[in-house]
Amino acid sequence: MINDVKKIVILAEQKKGKIHKVTYELLGKAAELIASFPEGQFEKDVIVLGSDQLNLDEILHHGADKIYHIAANSFDMPDEWLYKENICELLKQIQPEMLLVGATTFGRSLAPRIAAALETGLTADCTELMIDTDGKLIQIRPAFSDNILAHIKTETLPQMATIRYKEFAPAEWTDEVNGEIIKVDAYVKGNELIEILEELEESEFDISDAHIVISAGKGIKSKEDMKMIYELAECLKADVGASRAIVDEGYIDKSHQVGYSGNRVKPSLYIACGVSGAPQHLAGMKESDVIVAINSDASAPIFEVSDYGIVGDVYKVVPMLIERLRSKEI
Amino acid sequence: MYEYRNMDGMLIKELKAIVGEDYVITEHDNVVSYLYDETEPRLRPAANEDCVVVKPRTTEEVSKIMALADKNKQTVVVRGGGTGLCGAAIPTEPSLILSMERFKEIIDLDDKNFIITLEAGVTLGEMNEFLKTKDVLYFPCHPGDESAQMGGLVVENAGGARAVKHGVMRNHIKGVELVLPNGKVMNLGGKLQKNNAGYDLLQLIIGSEGTLGIVTKVMLKLYPESKFTGTLLVSFDSYDQATEAATKTLQSGIIPLSIEYLDRQIALRSAEHLGEKWPLQKGNVDLMFILSEDSEDALFDVGGMIEEICEVVGAVESLIADSSKDQARILNIRSNTYTASKSSILDSMDITVPPAQMPALMHGFSSIAEKYHASIDTVGHIGDGNVHNNIYLVDGEIPPYYEEMKEELYKLAIQLGGSITGEHGIGKIRRKNLPLQFDEIQINLMRGVKELFDPNNILNPRTAIY
Amino acid sequence: MNIAILIKQVPDMERVKFDCERGLVDRSTAGVEINPFDLNALEAGVNIAESKGCESVVLTMGPPRGADSLREGIARGASRGILLSDRAFGGADTKATSKTLAAALKKMGVPEIILVGEKTVDGDTGQVGAEIAEFLGIPHISYIEEILNISENDITVVSNIFDGKFVKKAKFPVLLTVTKDLNVPRLPSFKSKSIARKAEIPTWSLEELSDFIEKEEVGIKGSPTKVRKIVVPKAESRVCKKEKDNIENFLDEMIGDLIEKNVLEG
Repeated sequence: MINDVKKIVILAEQKKGKIHKVTYELLGKAAELIASFPEGQFEKDVIVLGSDQLNLDEILHHGADKIYHIAANSFDMPDEWLYKENICELLKQIQPEMLLVGATTFGRSLAPRIAAALETGLTADCTELMIDTDGKLIQIRPAFSDNILAHIKTETLPQMATIRYKEFAPAEWTDEVNGEIIKVDAYVKGNELIEILEELEESEFDISDAHIVISAGKGIKSKEDMKMIYELAECLKADVGASRAIVDEGYIDKSHQVGYSGNRVKPSLYIACGVSGAPQHLAGMKESDVIVAINSDASAPIFEVSDYGIVGDVYKVVPMLIERLRSKEI
Repeated sequence: MYEYRNMDGMLIKELKAIVGEDYVITEHDNVVSYLYDETEPRLRPAANEDCVVVKPRTTEEVSKIMALADKNKQTVVVRGGGTGLCGAAIPTEPSLILSMERFKEIIDLDDKNFIITLEAGVTLGEMNEFLKTKDVLYFPCHPGDESAQMGGLVVENAGGARAVKHGVMRNHIKGVELVLPNGKVMNLGGKLQKNNAGYDLLQLIIGSEGTLGIVTKVMLKLYPESKFTGTLLVSFDSYDQATEAATKTLQSGIIPLSIEYLDRQIALRSAEHLGEKWPLQKGNVDLMFILSEDSEDALFDVGGMIEEICEVVGAVESLIADSSKDQARILNIRSNTYTASKSSILDSMDITVPPAQMPALMHGFSSIAEKYHASIDTVGHIGDGNVHNNIYLVDGEIPPYYEEMKEELYKLAIQLGGSITGEHGIGKIRRKNLPLQFDEIQINLMRGVKELFDPNNILNPRTAIY
Repeated sequence: MNIAILIKQVPDMERVKFDCERGLVDRSTAGVEINPFDLNALEAGVNIAESKGCESVVLTMGPPRGADSLREGIARGASRGILLSDRAFGGADTKATSKTLAAALKKMGVPEIILVGEKTVDGDTGQVGAEIAEFLGIPHISYIEEILNISENDITVVSNIFDGKFVKKAKFPVLLTVTKDLNVPRLPSFKSKSIARKAEIPTWSLEELSDFIEKEEVGIKGSPTKVRKIVVPKAESRVCKKEKDNIENFLDEMIGDLIEKNVLEG
């Protein structure tokens, strides 16, 4: 099946039929990379493993040229070995130039197995991809606990990378669909060595893993008033944090406490509502990517570490924020 | 919205003219964050809520504020990190609360004279972070809560762990910039190793609990960082074994950075509070030796000697942490013992005796607790003769025996040649106990000093002296 | 049963300095320590070995001073250590590293359980474990939070992966990558540390591994990925956009910004 058109292959992850959104971001990036080559030189293909019934139209609407659907029910469970066996078999036919995998937990566990099986290099957790003058991929990734960015090139094929979620804009959804779905029966359906017994129920709460934290401080006057904090959190699918004062008052359980003697959090968004910003609290959250503070005291230390500061009554500003987020249906 | 009632509107206007509109806080909702420190809730005085918070940025602004306050005979209470344990920063009458939180600059690191100059609002944690990036020098004193600010550490003469080898804050403060209650600015001390001219006013300011002047800058002595440090954790079945081991170690001539004592329950509570695990499992009472030596071999030689002493006394387990992370974790658990137990503690005392009297003090605690059928547990700087014995609330209430038992504990300390407070200070909660330790003549001398510095008695009145 | 724990000596990240101007990483003033994630692997390995009464071996690849981290591993309960050290191993990427470690494990006789930390704090790739498993042709389970059962032929664990927690059972031999949630690493006893400080550590060079790996497969030669450039981004100091009058407008603009920055979705 080798022909002149080169391929960027994206490995899509699905769970219970739901495609992981990083797939669309990778399609967006792939389109951008392809644009630096003469037209028609590259196509962007997607490999998905999953049950026979999988609906893959969304991927087509995001611009995939070919979708290879390897079908078997056993792909509902995260079995790296089984995935690897099937993917490598298919890749023998596709012979891609580049292979991109979302850096989800499963992607990070699966990609190195594939890379090792293909005897190729793999760059972990990239935050940017570019095409060099020689047409090769420059893979940019943070290292040393995010203190440096390394530019990496791979000398073997395929050039393989895992890519962080939410780094790239997703490909635009288009009405028109040009791609096709190619269904393949699974090459290998079972695994003697690993047995996945069950998926456990939702785990206990751990705020240090939160992506978004809405945090309440002394500006919140009663346990009852925590409601608006929960409402705001719900709008953003966020977790609720609290300063020590709020925990000491008994408004919320200690597991929500953010600070030096609590949990250290590093979410992509931290919204501090009525938190004045005692050093003990700042120590637990100042590394967050984006910080928003709402406080009526314009000189509150929390503003020193914030990107957005709203000087106002938290009882007025939080409802305003909720209203706006609801109307945007984020 | 609740507005400040008793303060002259004119005064507020003038304050705003000095520091800017945003830095004078009058709304009750925002003022309340500035009313209390970490003093035990049942011991602390009720704060007077008729207060205004002012947040100056420069010494000049502080000077103007004080001149204005002095002219108007307006009470001023200085506030640092709010980590104090004697209520010194709690305003008990309508006050201007002067928060030093904007004094954040690290002014100079003099790596030739080993001196760092900082503004008073820099926290202990921020200074330590800064020094870490500079590698060579470190500050040995570690009074616990790292959000404590420099100004507060100076005027409260904070102590904490690691004092066995290097002493308390007083031993490291080289100089301060001070604003007097009338607004005059002066510099005390300096980089000199020797200075014998006149009375040493700097020493008077250290430990003055915000009653004599406002510290705006601080100069601290630093030390070359020793490359090889280790924390040796040893556990025992009983308190008298642990006490004996600590005393014998000191008497053998070994000088660790610190020797800390922890009743196991206290350590476990703190670890749980932090979501950590206390490494020791056997025994009931733990000692924590922080060692600092010039080579790894020396570290293990000294550790070996201590372990041998402990073993003879009856140690049941001994662990060593020598990575900076493990040591920081353990110290953090030790530093959070008070916070972790705060909700159930009535009084976390800090009696101090000469180190060799420690066994007698611990026996005294035990028999006094027995007499009142009280539960007391102990954590603290046993190597300095300074321990915190915690008296607990009973069913959420102050037990009837509390005052009597406390006085008995204080008297025990004095009888052993000790002090009623080793590091927390007198503040507003121990003033009436001061005559146990000082006679009228000494207290009158202190009163005279206060009057000389602050004739209008505007700066933190009814604090530190009786 | 045999257990191997793979560890890496890393710089103390709190002390590593980054030079924005020249794009350099300065480790000279930083001490070294065992990669913190590997301590959880070590604790798990030592626990299993103690309960099964078997041997646990710590392995590391690196310069000669890597022996110190093996001694630390022994102080914390491992039976012995093996250092893989050779100039030829230098400059290895994850593939060459994995191949070399896999070769050493083959030379030992592939242990029933191989434990590794989920990632290292310097390289930060988290790839080596899975690659070794593939090179050994054995299964692996990642992100282990709990070990539920160990029987004669298999192990049952909880793996935090795929947006959930999965109970997986693997036949031996198996490679397991563990998370920090699995356990709390112990401190060494003073006595065991004092003894371990003096422990002899055998070193395996390329020569010792020659039956299991070619010289083209190790070090920089065996590494298909090459770092072309290092950029040290300047630490951004935050500038707060503050508003107290026109809050409605400000919120609209802020929400717009946040959508653009892709941070509004949990």
